[in-house]
Amino acid sequence: METSRPEELGDEKLVTLAQKGERKAFEELVERYKQKAYRIAFDFTRDREEAKDLSQEAFLRAFTHLDRFDQRASFYTWFYRILVNLCLDYRRRGQRVTWQSFEEREEKVAEGNEIAAAAPTPDRQAMSGEILRKIGAALNLLPPKQRTAFLLKNHEGLSISEIAKVMQTAEGTVKTHIHRAVTALRQSLAELV
Amino acid sequence: MANMTPAQAACKEYEEDLVLYYYGEYSEKGRDRIQTHLKNCSSCSRFLDELRALLPLTVKIDEPSQPFWESYSREVRQKLAAAGEKTSWWEGIFSFLRPWRVPALATAMVFILALTLTLTKGTWRTRGDVPPKEETLLEVLPMAENLEFFKSMDFLDSLDLLEDMGESGVA
Repeated sequence: METSRPEELGDEKLVTLAQKGERKAFEELVERYKQKAYRIAFDFTRDREEAKDLSQEAFLRAFTHLDRFDQRASFYTWFYRILVNLCLDYRRRGQRVTWQSFEEREEKVAEGNEIAAAAPTPDRQAMSGEILRKIGAALNLLPPKQRTAFLLKNHEGLSISEIAKVMQTAEGTVKTHIHRAVTALRQSLAELV
Repeated sequence: MANMTPAQAACKEYEEDLVLYYYGEYSEKGRDRIQTHLKNCSSCSRFLDELRALLPLTVKIDEPSQPFWESYSREVRQKLAAAGEKTSWWEGIFSFLRPWRVPALATAMVFILALTLTLTKGTWRTRGDVPPKEETLLEVLPMAENLEFFKSMDFLDSLDLLEDMGESGVA
């Protein structure tokens, strides 16, 4: 490792070091992106354990295929692509999302899970399990590309150009996916507004 | 209002732009166009209000606690270490096939081969190994010798002729 501490280095430099076999450099990338990675996986699965497994698997795949990473792209775009593909593959494999309500989840946590659950916000408390299930089901009905574009925009706040890079498609196509997803959700969830 | 249908809450030509406007994805020109339109179109204003009410509801936030993240990092480090160990033995074998090494290895092989052939020229050659060009030469050589023979025969013929002429002249 060079004299600079890993946390002071940019992604590009960390990737270069990791490609030379510096595992510590890659571990810093994990620290940097673990929360975003987890959140994206959670958007797709809505299940804490699945989100953890999928995001960790994405890091592992990125690490083992780091020699294929083209430095002209940004690391996080490349990494998000791996992660999104894993999440879509998870859905294709037929894993059914449980759509547990927050109440059910919190019960589970209270039963001895060492990982403390997030404190429910007033908004969450106001939402009934039924509404959450409806929203989950409506999202689940979206075609994979629409769902991906919508989640990356609506949940993660990525720009259209970033989403286009992750999905390896044109920006116009991303806009269409998002528009169609929103239209479908409006129809499915009309009763909520 | 143009292009309105009963199933749509917004003007058709503005719907996609309104969704992008909601997400802050617009150019300055596009923003002015939409804002001007919104001032005069209650349907599109309602549509935008609907998006503002509905879309945040679809976000389900999970905020795991610090122990979760500590455990997360620890697990990833263990998995990376295991992956590193798993790949190290075959990486060692195939490290020679890394992109920059392949041409270097090929060049070295060609050089060694050329050197070997140069230094051992003729020592390993058997009849079967003779190159086609040289093989042709070996076939032509006896023919050339024959040619010399026949040339000699011509010379002898000439001598015979001179003798005949001499005899006739003497006679």
